[in-house]
Amino acid sequence: MARKALLISPELCIGCRGCQTACKGWNQLPAEKTKNTGSFENPADLTPIVFNKIRYVEVPSEKDPVRWLFVSQRCMHCDDAGCMKICPAPGALYKTKEGAVAFNKEKCIGCKLCVAGCPFNVPRYDAKDKISKCNLCEDRIAAGLEPACSKTCPTGAIKYGERDSLIGGSKKAGFAKVYGDTDLGGLGSIYAFKDSPKLYGMEENPQIPESIVFWHKVLKPLAYWGVGGAVAASLLHYVVIGPHKDDEEVKKDG
Amino acid sequence: MTNHWVDLKNADVILVMGSNPAENHPISMKWIMKAREKGAKLVVVDPRFTRTAARADLYAPLRSGTDIAFLGGMIKYILDNNLYFKEYVVNYTNATYLVNPDFKGPAELNGLFSGYDETTRKYDKKTWSFQMDEKGLPKKDMTMKDPNCVFQIMKKHYSRYTPDKVSSITGTPKEKLLEVYKAYGSTGKPNRVGTELYAMGWTQHTVGTQNIRTMAIIQLLLGNIGMAGGGMNALRGESNVQGSTDFGLLFHILPGYIPVPSATLVDLKTYIDKLTPKTKDPRSVNWWGNRGKYITSYLKSIYGSNATKENGFAYDYLPKLDEGMNASWLNLFDQMYKGKFDGFFAWGQNPACSGANAGKVRTALTKLKWMVNVNLFDNETASFWKGPGLNPKDIQTEVFMLPCASSVEKEGSITNSGRLAQWRYKAIEPIGQSKPDSDIVNELFLRVKKMYQKQGGAFPDPILKLTWNYGAKAVNTHLIAKEVNGYYIEELVDKKANKVVGKKGDLCTNFVTLQLDGTTSCGNWIYSGSYTMKDDKQVNMMARRKKDDPTGLGLFSDWAWCWPVNRRIIYNRASVNMEGKPWDPKRAVIKWNPNKLDPKTKKTGPGWEGDVPDGPAPPMADEKAGKYPFIMRADGMGALFGPGLADGPFPEHYEALECPLQANLLSKQRVNPAIKMFFDKKGGLKEDQFLSCDMRFPYVATTYRVSEHWQTGVLTRHLPWQAELQPQQFVELSEELAKEKNIKSGDKVTVKSARGEVWAIAMVTNRFKPFKVANSTVHQVGLPWHFGWQFPEDGSGGDSSNLLTPTVGDANTMIPETKAFMVNVEKA
Amino acid sequence: MDKMIRKAGVFEIFNHWVLAISCFILALTGYAFLFHLEQMTGIFGSFAQMKVIHNYAGIVFTGSLVISIFFYLPESLHMTGDDLKWLSMLGGYLSKHPHVPPMGKLNTGQKLAYLGLVVSGIAIAVSGFVIWLMPGVKKYILLSHLAHNIAFDYIVFAVAAHIYLATLANPGTLRIMLSGTVPLEWARKKSPKWVKEMGY
Repeated sequence: MARKALLISPELCIGCRGCQTACKGWNQLPAEKTKNTGSFENPADLTPIVFNKIRYVEVPSEKDPVRWLFVSQRCMHCDDAGCMKICPAPGALYKTKEGAVAFNKEKCIGCKLCVAGCPFNVPRYDAKDKISKCNLCEDRIAAGLEPACSKTCPTGAIKYGERDSLIGGSKKAGFAKVYGDTDLGGLGSIYAFKDSPKLYGMEENPQIPESIVFWHKVLKPLAYWGVGGAVAASLLHYVVIGPHKDDEEVKKDG
Repeated sequence: MTNHWVDLKNADVILVMGSNPAENHPISMKWIMKAREKGAKLVVVDPRFTRTAARADLYAPLRSGTDIAFLGGMIKYILDNNLYFKEYVVNYTNATYLVNPDFKGPAELNGLFSGYDETTRKYDKKTWSFQMDEKGLPKKDMTMKDPNCVFQIMKKHYSRYTPDKVSSITGTPKEKLLEVYKAYGSTGKPNRVGTELYAMGWTQHTVGTQNIRTMAIIQLLLGNIGMAGGGMNALRGESNVQGSTDFGLLFHILPGYIPVPSATLVDLKTYIDKLTPKTKDPRSVNWWGNRGKYITSYLKSIYGSNATKENGFAYDYLPKLDEGMNASWLNLFDQMYKGKFDGFFAWGQNPACSGANAGKVRTALTKLKWMVNVNLFDNETASFWKGPGLNPKDIQTEVFMLPCASSVEKEGSITNSGRLAQWRYKAIEPIGQSKPDSDIVNELFLRVKKMYQKQGGAFPDPILKLTWNYGAKAVNTHLIAKEVNGYYIEELVDKKANKVVGKKGDLCTNFVTLQLDGTTSCGNWIYSGSYTMKDDKQVNMMARRKKDDPTGLGLFSDWAWCWPVNRRIIYNRASVNMEGKPWDPKRAVIKWNPNKLDPKTKKTGPGWEGDVPDGPAPPMADEKAGKYPFIMRADGMGALFGPGLADGPFPEHYEALECPLQANLLSKQRVNPAIKMFFDKKGGLKEDQFLSCDMRFPYVATTYRVSEHWQTGVLTRHLPWQAELQPQQFVELSEELAKEKNIKSGDKVTVKSARGEVWAIAMVTNRFKPFKVANSTVHQVGLPWHFGWQFPEDGSGGDSSNLLTPTVGDANTMIPETKAFMVNVEKA
Repeated sequence: MDKMIRKAGVFEIFNHWVLAISCFILALTGYAFLFHLEQMTGIFGSFAQMKVIHNYAGIVFTGSLVISIFFYLPESLHMTGDDLKWLSMLGGYLSKHPHVPPMGKLNTGQKLAYLGLVVSGIAIAVSGFVIWLMPGVKKYILLSHLAHNIAFDYIVFAVAAHIYLATLANPGTLRIMLSGTVPLEWARKKSPKWVKEMGY
C-alpha cells in the first residue's frame, strides 16, 4: 500500500486550532487545566492528553509588525522511527499499513525509552505510564475516514493523502523542498515550509540520537554475536587446549 | 452578504476591514485561500495584526474608529487616478444626478451637512435631494461634469481626504495607505473584482452605518457590486443572525424587512401609502413598490381568516411604535435601569456580559420584578443577583430558568451570512428537561391565550385571533416553514395568460405571486419559494443537497435555498453591460442569451442564463422593457449619494465618542452630530459617562472575539476543550506600551475605563504597534469579550470586557460603539 | 580421603548464587527486550511483567553485587609481581603445558574479571535505575541506555567465560560455590599462596 502522510502547510494555517479540538473530540481526551501565560499558544506543550497543537511562532518581518506563523506539532510518524527502534516491548509501537507509527497501550511496558529515542520530543505518558501520542487516527483510517485534524482543517493547512502525491503537489505549488521528504527515511508528517525549518522552530536535519544508532548497529549485534562467540571460543578452547593443567600435574605427568 | 461564502474564491482582491474572518469565520478562509491560490491578494486593515493578517499579502494598521477617513482617502485616490469603472458608474449609479443646489457639505459647514438642528441633534434632510425634471425624474448630467452632479459633489467632499491628512488621522503609515489604495483600486477594471468583508469591526461604531456606506460607494465606483467575487459582504456574528434579522428580531422590522408600523399610520391603507417607495420612472423595477402585497400577505399569514378586507386585514392587531420611538438595545436597558420594566425574557442571550456598558446592564437587571432566562447554561445574566458587588438580599428579582435545546437537538432551518437557508435535522433528543425554543414559545403562547380566554383583558383579540396551530406540545417546524413560504388562499389565475398559477391551498411559488387582496398568505415574503410545490407535492427547498456547479463559480444553486428566489448574488444585473453581456466573461454570473433553450418546452427565445437574475426583464439597452439593475432602490440606481441616512448623504469622518484627540483633524465636529447622547453637558447617569481625551484613560481600546470562544462564552467556557485553548481574559498591548508601564507578558493587569474595570493577563506583542496620530504617539490595546465571572466557578476566567464599553450607539442603527473607547492599563 | 579446605563460606556461596540467578534473570529478560523475544513471555508472562521482574531483579542484583564487594574487592585489588607474570602468559590458558606463577585465593584473571564485573555491574545498576526512575530527562536516559548496553555486552561475555572457566576449563572449581570446600592438594595447585597463608 502506498504510504500515507499529513502535509502541513503553515502558509495556509490560520491558527484556529480546530485540529486541536477535533483531535480531543475524536480521541475523547480530557482537557488540561491551563492558564494564559501571555500567548495564544495553549497548552504550552504536548501532553498525554494533547496529541497535537499549534505552535504560534512570531518572527521579525520587514513588511509587517511581525511574521506570525502557525505550525502544527504532533508525532512525525518517521519511517525510521527512533521510538520504535529503542522500544523494548514488541507490539507496543508499530507501523500501520499506511506507515503511521501507532501504539498499543496494552503492550506498552511504561519504560519511556521511546521518549529518548524520539528526535522530535513527541511521546508522552499517561497516568498509568502508558505511551500516549498521535496515532494518525488509526481507527478512523481503518474505517475509511481521514484523521480528525485534517478533516476539520478549514483551509487545507493539514492535508491527509498519499505521501508521494502530497509531496508532488507541494513541489508543484512552489515549495522547493518539503520538510521530512527524506529525513529519517521520510517522515509521515511533512511540512511545506517557505523558509528555513529553523524559522518555524524545527530542526534542520533531525536525527535519531547517535548513541541509539551506535547501540543499534554495534552493541545490539554484539550482545548476540558476543555471547555466542564466547560460548564458541570456550568450546574451541576445550577441544584444542583442553582443561587447565596445573604445574604440579605437569610435573607429575612429566 | 450581497454575495455568498463560496463566492469569495472568485475575487481578485479581498479587503478584510472591520472583520477578522480567520478567527471569527474560519471556514471562509477556505475560499479566501482558494482565491489566493489563483493569485488573489488578501488585504487586511485592522488596528491589530490578527490571525487573518498573519495570512495576508498586505496588512495596514489603522487606529480604531477611523475607517471612514481611511476609505474616504481611497475614494479620493480612485477618483484622482481615474480608477473607477466609468461605464458602470454612469449607467448604474446616481453619479449623474443633479443635487439640490442648496445642499451643503462638511467642507463648507465645518463638519456638518446642511439642515442640522443642534437642539434635536437631527438633520432636516430637505436639501439632501435631487433636482427633478417635469416628469418627476431626477435631472442628470451624463458627462458628470456639472458641479452639482453627485459625482462632482462627491469628488469635492473627498478632496479633503488627502493621504497625509488620512495618515495623520488613522495612524496608518502613508506608504501602507497608498499600497492598499493601489491594490484595491486595481479592481475598477471590468475584468478585476474586489470584495469587502466586514463585521462588527465596522458596525459597532457611532459611525457604523457610514463605515459600510463608504465602502459601498467604493464598490459602486469600481463596479464590484453584482459581480462574482465582489459585493459588500457582512460576515454575521452568529450562525443564524442573518435568519434572525430576516425574521424581524429587531424592534423596527417585521419579517422580511417590512417596517414596524408606528401609531401615526392609523390603518393599513395609510401604512401602505406612506411606506411604499414610489418612482415615476417606468424603467425602474422599484421592487419595494410591492410592499403592500407583503404586509397584506403577512397579516393574512398571522391572522388567517380573522384578517378580512373589511377589518383592514387586522392591521389594528399589530403593535405600534410611538412616532420616532426607538426600542433598540441601549434604550431598552436604559429604560430597564430607570425601572420602566417589570419583567424580562433573556432568551438565548447573556446581556450581563454581551451588553455594552455591562455594569449598567447588571444594575438594570436588579430593577426587574422577574426575569426568565432561557439558555443552555446558567450564566452571568441568570445569576446576576449573586454577581460581583451585589448582595442577593437586596435584590427582589425573581429569576426563572428554562433550559432549552441546543441546535443539534431540534429540526429547522438556519440562514447563514450568504442568505442561504439550510434545513438541519435533529441529531439527538434534547437532554434532561430542555426543550426546543419553539416548544417553549408554543407552550407559553397557549397558556397566555388561555389566560386571555378566561380573563379577557383590555385588548385580547391580537392574541385570541392569532393563527397558531403548530402542535399541542411539540412544534412541527415544517408547519412553520410552510406558513413562512405562504399559501394560495384562493385559486390564483393569471388572467392575461388565462392560466392557473396556483391552486387553492397550495404553497406559493414565490413572492412574485403574492397578492394585495388577501388571497395569499406569506409569513416572510423573502422566504417565499423556500417550501414550495413541485409536481403537486410540497417540497422543502432548504433541504436540497445537490452539488452541481455548472458555472464553476460555486453558486451551487441546488444546494439548499437562498433568498430572494434562490438568487445567489444579488444585484446581478449590474454584472453585465447594457446589452446583457457580462463585464467579465470569465466570471459570468448571468448573461443574456437571445436564443436561450427552454429545457421544458424545447423552444428557444431570449432569456437570462446563469444565476437567478434580478427579474426576467431584458437588459437595459432595451429602451422599452429594459430595467435598471438596482431593483430594491426606488430609482433603480446604486446610491453614491445616499440621502436616506440620519447622519449625511456622504460618509464623513468623525471621531469615536471616546477618542485620544482633542479635535477632529478634518473639521470642528468631533463626534457624529446625529448620535443620541446618553450623557452630555446637561448631565446624565453616572453609569453613562464618557471621558474623551482624558489623561486618566489615555489608550484606545477595542473588543473582539477569538476563534476559540463564542460570544459571551456561555457555550464555549463550559466546553473544557475550548477553555483549555483560551482559559482567561487577556489584553493585547504593544511592546512599547508594556515597556512604558513596566508590564511583562503573562502579568496580571487592570484595564479601566470611565465606567468600569476588569483584570486581564497581559499579552505583550508586536501585533499591536503604537500609532503616529496627529504627530503624537497613540497606543491601542484590545480585549476579547468572551469571559464572565460566573463560569469557570473559581473565577479564573475573568469578567466581561463590556464592563468598559460606553453607552452610545450608531446614529442610524443604535448598535453600541464597543470597538473604539478609551482605557488605562496598570499592573495589578 | 583427601584433606578438605574451606575456600568459601556459606553466606558467600549463597550470595554468589543470588547474584548469579538475578543476573541470569536480568540477562534473559534483557535479551527479550533487546530482540523482542516473544518466547520469553512463556516464562515470565508478559513484557510488562518482564519489566517489573527486570526492575526488581535489578535491585537484588545490585544488593548482591554490593555484598560481593566485601568478599572479593580487597583481594582483587591486591596485585603482585606474580600477577603481572600470570597476565603476561595469559594464565597459561593458551598453552597445554603452562607454568603459571603461584596465585593467591584468586588468580589474576579472576581478579581482573571481578574488577570488570564491579565496574560494569555498578554501571549497569546505576544506568538501570536512572532509566527506571528518571525517565523524564532525555540526556540522562540516552547516556544510561548506552552505559546499560555496553555493560550488558561485557557482562554477558564475562559471565559466559566465567562459567566455562569455572566448570569445564578448570574441573573441580565449581565445588567452591557448592560445598565451599576443596581438596587441600587441589587448592595447593590452584592457590598455593593462599594455602600457605592459611597455614598449611
